[in-house]
Amino acid sequence: MGSLARAYGRPLASVIAGIAVAWVLVLILVPLGAMVEQSLWWRDSKGDASLSIDRLYNDISLIELDLETETDPAKQAAFDQSLVEKRAEIATLEAQETNPPKTYGLANFTRMSGLHFYIFVRTIFYALLVTALALVVCYPVAYVVALASGPRKAIILMVALIVPYAINELLRVYAWLMILDYRGVINGVLQWMGFIDLDAREWIPFLENPSAVFLAMIYTYVLFMVFPMVNTLETLDRNQIEAARDLGASTFRIHRRVIIPHAKPGIAVGCIMTFMLSAGSYSVPAIMTRGQGGDWFSQLVYRQFYESNNWNMGSAYAVSLLVVCTAFILLMMRLFGVGLRDIAK
Amino acid sequence: MRGKDVRLDQVSIRFGDSTAVQPTDLSIQAGEFFSILGPSGCGKTTLLRTISGFIEPTAGRVLIGGEDMAGKGPNERPTALIFQNLALFPLMSVAENVAFGLEARGMRKVERLKRAQELLELVALSGYGDKKPADLSGGQRQRVAIARALAVEPAVLLLDEPLSALDLKLRQHMRSELRAIQKRVGITFIYITHDQGEALAMSDRVAVMSRGKLEQVADADTLYAEPATPFVATFVGEQNVLRGTVSSLADTVATVDTPIGRIEGRVKGPIRLGEEALLMVRPERIVLGPGGANTVAARLAARNLEGPSVHLHCAAAGQTLTVTVPNGPSVRELPEELTLSFGIDDALVYPLGALAHG
Repeated sequence: MGSLARAYGRPLASVIAGIAVAWVLVLILVPLGAMVEQSLWWRDSKGDASLSIDRLYNDISLIELDLETETDPAKQAAFDQSLVEKRAEIATLEAQETNPPKTYGLANFTRMSGLHFYIFVRTIFYALLVTALALVVCYPVAYVVALASGPRKAIILMVALIVPYAINELLRVYAWLMILDYRGVINGVLQWMGFIDLDAREWIPFLENPSAVFLAMIYTYVLFMVFPMVNTLETLDRNQIEAARDLGASTFRIHRRVIIPHAKPGIAVGCIMTFMLSAGSYSVPAIMTRGQGGDWFSQLVYRQFYESNNWNMGSAYAVSLLVVCTAFILLMMRLFGVGLRDIAK
Repeated sequence: MRGKDVRLDQVSIRFGDSTAVQPTDLSIQAGEFFSILGPSGCGKTTLLRTISGFIEPTAGRVLIGGEDMAGKGPNERPTALIFQNLALFPLMSVAENVAFGLEARGMRKVERLKRAQELLELVALSGYGDKKPADLSGGQRQRVAIARALAVEPAVLLLDEPLSALDLKLRQHMRSELRAIQKRVGITFIYITHDQGEALAMSDRVAVMSRGKLEQVADADTLYAEPATPFVATFVGEQNVLRGTVSSLADTVATVDTPIGRIEGRVKGPIRLGEEALLMVRPERIVLGPGGANTVAARLAARNLEGPSVHLHCAAAGQTLTVTVPNGPSVRELPEELTLSFGIDDALVYPLGALAHG
């Protein structure tokens, strides 16, 4: 702050600092804080409350019926007394039901069912698989783009990467749905070639396999993998490639010893982005499986919010996913020896 | 390590429409320190990359040790290239850098690191093996690059202006060091440079190249004293250049009518009576006072002290002649009007042709 004020003067420095604080607040603290807060409490609504209320109302009706036929004033007073008691009981129960007491604790995090936990683990595994496949697909692409020069590079970038991404993500996923559907493009071609008969339901059920989701996801997130890699590969001195070749290294060794070590920060950024995006992707698995394949965890989070109407549980699920993904990324960065500082470069 | 000879047989290189190297014959002997000297863009780097195998010649053959290199990649040739920016691998240690070529040949780790150690000793860098190239000084990085190239035991070492990034003092030091290393390992060095000082100081022989063509191949003394073309004459060292008409022509001596008078000089190249020619005299071949066959009256315009010598800029008939004389008490009190003279052997007469500067 002191050096800022010296460099830009007090008014401008406070504007800059204000923007930085607002950035942290709006982008990090407020949304994350709201989600964490939501996940840390629940309302103890007793499941039998409405039943008890119904029972009490029945009792009241019966007592009122008895009261009309009763002539003994002593008994009438007893009935009145019991009516007042029951009504008071109803009032407290109803108050509890409409506004149950908040309880703070970690129960939302420990209440996950075995099935949901299995889906959680499987989602992380699938997201990893998508990341690995995307890396394999994107590395050669990034290499070609980064080492191409002049107008050729612009053409490759435009045609291969920018144009597909000018199309909305939903459209792109639906396009893959159309390609892989029972009566989709691929099955249509197979029928045209005479391998299968669609009317006899001999189609290949691509969409019932998790790989359909992988495919659409890789397609959807390829750009996030390619661009960071292109960025780092572009900074590689091509003389190093030539020097390695001149010293007798094979193409494989040049990649393994010279190019990949150099591109490591870019690869790390690409993998982190792809992993985070695919672990948290809702639309791709939802559209591609149409409920026929296994759910991804993001779909469970969605259900907690909009079908179970349990926002607290949903928040807890979302926070768990975030924490595990973040921990996982830090672990991977450690394993591959990539520091935050390298990535910032 | 044994050097091999390199022979270019009518090698020419074209990129699309432009010719980078015109058909060239060149023979470099085994164990020779050979320099290719020329201004930037003359095609010398292209020629080097052709020898190393990164560029296939459009026509002609490259022979190394008598073997035709056609179709062989840079990793299959007995050459090693040192790049202008050295291209050390920044993420590997110095020892790993030096051992990289051996690693590519499948040598075991212990052995190749031992060999790297020996090579680092050869270039006086033992003890630096664990450092990263970025931790080294410019001259040390230079030596790492040399050790890395020597590790694969090349028969021919190709150097692409490797000293150009160093400062003057270090560059001069590295010249003698390179020469010493070449003497020690005994392999062929082909050295590319635009710096005539480097080429003349280190090389057994120098080829001067201009616009994709070899102008002259000779040892340093011949190159300086007997330049074959106007380009070589003006590119290597300083020259006073005068334009004139050939007024008489004997066997080896021509008389040229220049703005500063009739000058007699030695004939270098095909000139004809009555045609225009270029007359060149080195500044240090002109002496003050009469004595030579050619005498010119001039007026002292400026003096440039260079330390051991002094450049005198003299005006004569609208031309500027530069005279280099040794520094001493006498040059401090020179009269304004001077008589300059030089012998017939000191003036060289060339047909009109391209000059190195403008």
